[in-house]
Amino acid sequence: MENEELVQNMLLELRRGTLSLAVLSQLSREQYGYSLLKALSDQGMEIDQSTLYPLLRRLEAQGLLQSDWRIMDEARPRRYYVISTQGKAVLTKLKREWSTMAETMKQMLT
Amino acid sequence: MNLIDRYIAEVGRHLPEKSREDIEAEIGSMLEDMIDENSRQTGKPVNDEVTAAALEQLGDPKLLAYQYTPARHYLIGPDWYEAYIETLKRVLATALPVVALITLFIALARNPIDFVDAAGQAFGRVIDVAIGILFWVTVAFIIVERTDTNPNEFGSAKPGGWTVSQLPKLPKMRQISIAETLANIVFLTGFTVWIILPFVWSQGNEAVPFLNPDLWQIWLPVFFVLVVLTLIHEILKLIIGNWTQPLMITNVILCLVSIAYIIALVTTQNIFNPAFLATLSEDVVGKLRDTARWASWTVNISAAITIGIYIWDMVNSIIMAKRLNSPEPKNAIATEKMLKQ
Repeated sequence: MENEELVQNMLLELRRGTLSLAVLSQLSREQYGYSLLKALSDQGMEIDQSTLYPLLRRLEAQGLLQSDWRIMDEARPRRYYVISTQGKAVLTKLKREWSTMAETMKQMLT
Repeated sequence: MNLIDRYIAEVGRHLPEKSREDIEAEIGSMLEDMIDENSRQTGKPVNDEVTAAALEQLGDPKLLAYQYTPARHYLIGPDWYEAYIETLKRVLATALPVVALITLFIALARNPIDFVDAAGQAFGRVIDVAIGILFWVTVAFIIVERTDTNPNEFGSAKPGGWTVSQLPKLPKMRQISIAETLANIVFLTGFTVWIILPFVWSQGNEAVPFLNPDLWQIWLPVFFVLVVLTLIHEILKLIIGNWTQPLMITNVILCLVSIAYIIALVTTQNIFNPAFLATLSEDVVGKLRDTARWASWTVNISAAITIGIYIWDMVNSIIMAKRLNSPEPKNAIATEKMLKQ
């Protein structure tokens, strides 16, 4: 029982570390908050909404994302986010680092 | 809808004004997306139950707001809190008694009989000064907190940015508090000026100095010599910082001479100017006898308190000097143990 809780906590930490990378990777096409949440969860990446929305803002404040309010498909106004030029450069670097890290972990774990 | 409005208002309450409206709008739009989706999935119409489920999914509005603004939600953080409290305590403990005594004395000098009024004035002044000190010390620390370029918060430290050279030096061991010595110097200078000023004022107008002018022949010059010697001694205390043997011996001599001076002065001399006491009795309803009694009472009490302070200072310096010669062995023992292991 106790182990279960420990595992959950560590999983949460693992996932938190990869969040920014996951979000950046999905925003080459512009998305609003809820559609991004769906896109991530459809691919198996479950994120708390109370984590995702503030994260989007932080990434925008760091210049990695751009956003504006828009009305599309006659729906309600929504804030749409898309990756910026700086974000793309950062994403390329992060991707490279990630593959190295994944490779290392794979070797260590097998 | 009411639930959503209440939720958003609660989030907004914890957000900085600058970005409040924008974040509120965004959360509102996201919430409606969520609610629509939930209602579509469960097949239920949009009602309070579906809304409540969506809100609970988003969680505590306060925590959500904090996620948006990871800034400081405090005026004085843990890094400065202890220093803040300590400074407040020291400044209040030094300033308030002095303020109370001075106010009391001035009020009694004006009207020796109405002790209640004098106590009331002193009390009011103490409250005023306390509030002022509280305000300005707090403002000073808020500024320090906001401008501190090396905040000690978790997560804000840059990786690899810290080197051993940033470790603050251990404070030098000091027995004599700087603040206390400075307070002594300020008090002594102020007291001396306060004694001289009435004589200066009395030149060429009708004001009557409250000290007996006869004291100028011997007693006041001796007093000024004592003050100068004490001031020099205080400055030496400030520089040396510890009760070394010479410092302690000179302190004991100074204290003994001062005590002898006070006793001789109080027992053989009329301290107050008779003319001053006479004007007091004219101004005030009381009779000269009452005023004279008040005057000797004030002098005796002040003398007793001052002598008490001198004795305490003397004893304290002797004890401290002894301690300085036989340093606490704790550290030595610990070092020895470590060396043996």
